[in-house]
Amino acid sequence: MQFLRSRVAALSLLTATFLVSACQRGGYQATPQLAPVTAQPVSKTQPEDPKAAATIEPYRQRVTQQMNEVLGVAPVAITKNNGESPLANFVADLQRERASAVLKQPVDVGVMTNGGLRASLPAGPITMGSAFELMPFENELVVLDTPGPVMQDMLNYAARIKMALSNVTYTVGADNKPTNVLIGGKPFDPARTYTIAISDYLAGGGDQMVFFKSIKPRSTGVLLRSAIVDHIRGLTKAGKPVEAKVEGRVKVM
Amino acid sequence: MNRRDFLKHTSLGAAGLGLMGLSLPAVGRDTKNVRLTILHTNDMHSRIEPFPDNSAQWAGMGGMARRASLIEQIRKQEPNVLLLDSGDIWQGTPYFNFFSGELEYKLMTQMAYDASTLGNHDFDNGLEGLKKQLPNAGFPFLIANYDFSQTILAGQFKPYKVFEKAGLRIGVFGIGIEMQGLISDRNIGGTKYLDPVATSQSMVTQLRGPERCDMVICLSHLGYKYESAKIDDHKLAAQVPGIDLILGGHTHTFLEKPDVILGAGGHQTLINQVGWSGINLGRLDYSFEHGSKRLAVASSSVVPVTTA
Repeated sequence: MQFLRSRVAALSLLTATFLVSACQRGGYQATPQLAPVTAQPVSKTQPEDPKAAATIEPYRQRVTQQMNEVLGVAPVAITKNNGESPLANFVADLQRERASAVLKQPVDVGVMTNGGLRASLPAGPITMGSAFELMPFENELVVLDTPGPVMQDMLNYAARIKMALSNVTYTVGADNKPTNVLIGGKPFDPARTYTIAISDYLAGGGDQMVFFKSIKPRSTGVLLRSAIVDHIRGLTKAGKPVEAKVEGRVKVM
Repeated sequence: MNRRDFLKHTSLGAAGLGLMGLSLPAVGRDTKNVRLTILHTNDMHSRIEPFPDNSAQWAGMGGMARRASLIEQIRKQEPNVLLLDSGDIWQGTPYFNFFSGELEYKLMTQMAYDASTLGNHDFDNGLEGLKKQLPNAGFPFLIANYDFSQTILAGQFKPYKVFEKAGLRIGVFGIGIEMQGLISDRNIGGTKYLDPVATSQSMVTQLRGPERCDMVICLSHLGYKYESAKIDDHKLAAQVPGIDLILGGHTHTFLEKPDVILGAGGHQTLINQVGWSGINLGRLDYSFEHGSKRLAVASSSVVPVTTA
């Protein structure tokens, strides 16, 4: 009996050994031995590694220096508010200008919501840090070839919140509907296709602009923040101050 | 005794025992348990320095110099450490805008990362931007389902790598998220996206088969769990048997401990993800036992290991 058991066992071992060497290499079983919490916080109680800290230091100094770089000077702060705002006018205009330059064609309309702009530009020196605070997102400037009916959706959206669009003027009444719409000084033509310079975020339906989702955006390869920074630098180079104002793009009846 | 010697010893010993008709239980105990510590990060998003003290969220958390010392501390205690990352190393602080990812790669190299995969934001400077920084990365990028063969990055990445730790073979492969809609066309260039499920299946076959791996790890940038049909780490675990551990990313999901997905034949896949920005370092410890349980599963493998 003992012998028989041994033989069976021997047979099974041989089988097992064969399986080990012929199939799964080691027959090792990986068993997790997990602590109750496997995520270890990297917090202040943890000292800094001196070598890593030393590697970071020169970069840190350059970041600080570059964030303090003055791009231009604003005589008065460029702020945002509900409705037509100086800041949204400023950004929507430079979007349209930059997109036209990149695509080498006139772009009809510029769109930027107040919500997409995270901070005002201060009066006085405007630094790289100011640009990062204004536009912390890595949004790309894109162009939408917008059929008339979708342009109408955009205008309806704008009129509801009395939002201004670059190169557009309109009147809005108590019914929140846009009238007397002029695009580039010409009456809005629903049969036309309009080009819109906008962030990829809004183009993808962000801030409830779902009507844009069906349009495939044309890429410019330019980050919105870079467009803002370049524009301010350009003004400074041309000896101009950084300015923007509310100029009656939206007439509220 | 290394792994090969151990195997040789076991096989010969077993054959000898079999021939002599001796009783057997002693054989299984001949093994010394081996311990492997897996440390991992995901979506570090250029968070070189800790979040500023005045941050609305995560104030004072993270920081790569602190992470480096935490890793160093663990390396002093544990003999076998694998340090892995699941992508989106780049984008999120001015360090990336100003230095294009150079410092992130240099620090990861100093920390001795063993491998990373590619996240969508690692394409933010295009294929040229990625290529330019690769000399600063002293660790491989593993990506099995992006085909770079028609791009300037042809030959720069491997689908998987096998790490030998204390005689164990740990197979690690990388899986990236669908690029369309996340990465702009100009940054995708000629990169082709391959199906994550089919690719992962072939990776498991390769790693469990010819590569004779004891453990298979997937570095995934697919994302943790979507309600839609979009492939995610949970669906991957359910659809691809044979992965021991999925280290995920993309969705910035904070897990305190891994999810366990039970597959056919009792095999289990763990899924872990540790938020983002290097706020947490994930740590999973495994012990390896030369057990009989695995043999039943192993029998589905096909490639003979004649060299063992």
